[in-house]
Amino acid sequence: MRNVAIIGCGQAKHGRRTDVNQAELVAEAVWAAVEDAGIAPEDIEAYAVGNMQGFGGIAQPDLVFADYIGAAGKPMQRVATGGTVGGSVAHLGYYEVASGMYDVVLAVSWEKHSDSAEPGATTGLLHVAYANLSYMMKVGMDMRSFAIMGLAGAAAGISAYQAAFYMARSGCGIEHFDMVAAKARRNAAKNKYAHLKWPNCTADDIAKTEMLIWPMRFGHVCPASDGASCVIYASEEAVKKLGVEKPVAWVKGVAAYADEEADQGEAYQGTAVVDYSDQTGAILSAMKAYERAGIKDPKKEIDVAEIYAPFPHQELMFSERLGFFDDGTAWKAVEEGVTEIDGDFPICPSGGVNATNAIGSSGMQRVVEAALQIMGKAEEHQVPKDVRNAVAHAWGGQVQFNTVMVLGDSPKR
Amino acid sequence: MGVVRYEGLPFVARFRWNTGKIMEKFYGGFAERQILAAKCENCGYTVVPPRVICPKCSSKMNENNLVKLDGRGVVLSYTVVRKKLDGKGGFVTLDKPEVIAAVKLNGADSMIFAKIGDVDVEDIKSGMEVVPVWAEKPEGRLSDLLYFRPG
Repeated sequence: MRNVAIIGCGQAKHGRRTDVNQAELVAEAVWAAVEDAGIAPEDIEAYAVGNMQGFGGIAQPDLVFADYIGAAGKPMQRVATGGTVGGSVAHLGYYEVASGMYDVVLAVSWEKHSDSAEPGATTGLLHVAYANLSYMMKVGMDMRSFAIMGLAGAAAGISAYQAAFYMARSGCGIEHFDMVAAKARRNAAKNKYAHLKWPNCTADDIAKTEMLIWPMRFGHVCPASDGASCVIYASEEAVKKLGVEKPVAWVKGVAAYADEEADQGEAYQGTAVVDYSDQTGAILSAMKAYERAGIKDPKKEIDVAEIYAPFPHQELMFSERLGFFDDGTAWKAVEEGVTEIDGDFPICPSGGVNATNAIGSSGMQRVVEAALQIMGKAEEHQVPKDVRNAVAHAWGGQVQFNTVMVLGDSPKR
Repeated sequence: MGVVRYEGLPFVARFRWNTGKIMEKFYGGFAERQILAAKCENCGYTVVPPRVICPKCSSKMNENNLVKLDGRGVVLSYTVVRKKLDGKGGFVTLDKPEVIAAVKLNGADSMIFAKIGDVDVEDIKSGMEVVPVWAEKPEGRLSDLLYFRPG
């Protein structure tokens, strides 16, 4: 595998984007990335694209925008791995360059939740749910009881069980979820692309919001955003050939592991084979990505991380699974301010998925934000410490896919 | 094994697509019996319906690139439809066959698909000139453009 760099990043403004259609939203991120990279559209040899299957009301959205992003007449592939998809698209683009197949590849992922007549992500989720949950009859489950248990709180309902598992294991309280959610909104206020901005938001502010489905409050829940995120990869040779002089972010290692079968409903009703908050796939992904990146001690060698955490307990859970804190201790680090933008181990300085969740975009946005921290281009939410290595994580599938990408300020030797 | 039908699910899942600003103008034009296209300032390619990125050279476009077409066009190719779905899994034969054609509008470089009416199917041919037939009271909807007829 040869060295690959991210030479350009682009994001659409995330939020409720009823001013654009899906193709226009994707194009916004793509052309921002092309401009950031300082290359010509002709330099791009292939495209990796993807979003949540069934979302936004278009079954095959990749078919509607090829000529909005300069992909007509070029290789273009779509990936669909549920919520993980942004991470998977990022990995596909990387594979295409690292393998030697192409020298310059563009990877973009997106979501357009507002193309829904129902609130939030409901329409998209239910189009997935119709097919996926009906299939649960294979394990003797009735979708109607799932609907009452889980969809009472929509996606929050799904993750509430995981949060409860995590609380029991780690000993953390709901107040720690309040702290993480407040940090997300404060950080988002410093990020011009973010959705839920709340300057100076405190844990007390979050604690005053309504309890939706225990232990999940309204203030813990991510928004349903519209948005698109994009990176452009170049091989080490192409970085030289294109004359890229601005700082780039080098991909040092990637890994993506599936967990044991863990459809949400199976976990609810007692047929799951795993602890819903165990996330072995995240541990395996992190260990393999660090090995490939030459990282021996992530606690010391990783400087900042962007974790896919739509709900606050997931930031705590995954930051342990990715090896940044010992099991069951992440909430103590949050209490001490370690994960703040100016802390010793900043997590989600962008505000993360908890403040901005255009699902397909979210995994890619973690890669974009990690790259911006390496390049020193994160502007108001740039962490003050030196950034040599950054981690971008994505999570999804049903609950069992994880992707991890380690980015660095220099190529691997 | 019979078919198990689910009832009583609390699910409603409807979509509502945003067209984007330039297509809002396009539909607005229909209310005036006008067809709008976008002309690229960089390469001159004119695309209908209009869009924000030139499909030819990828230049950015916006409402300022809109141009009015005169509506006249030429049939590039066509097909004659003789059956339609009956909504019950079968087909029915149409009393009167319908013609669907690829039409290149004057001033545009791209083409659209449209119904051709007021013509016997035996008389339709590629290269035939056509003009739009609009609804009596156009409302800014796609259905305002009823069909094209020879002219």
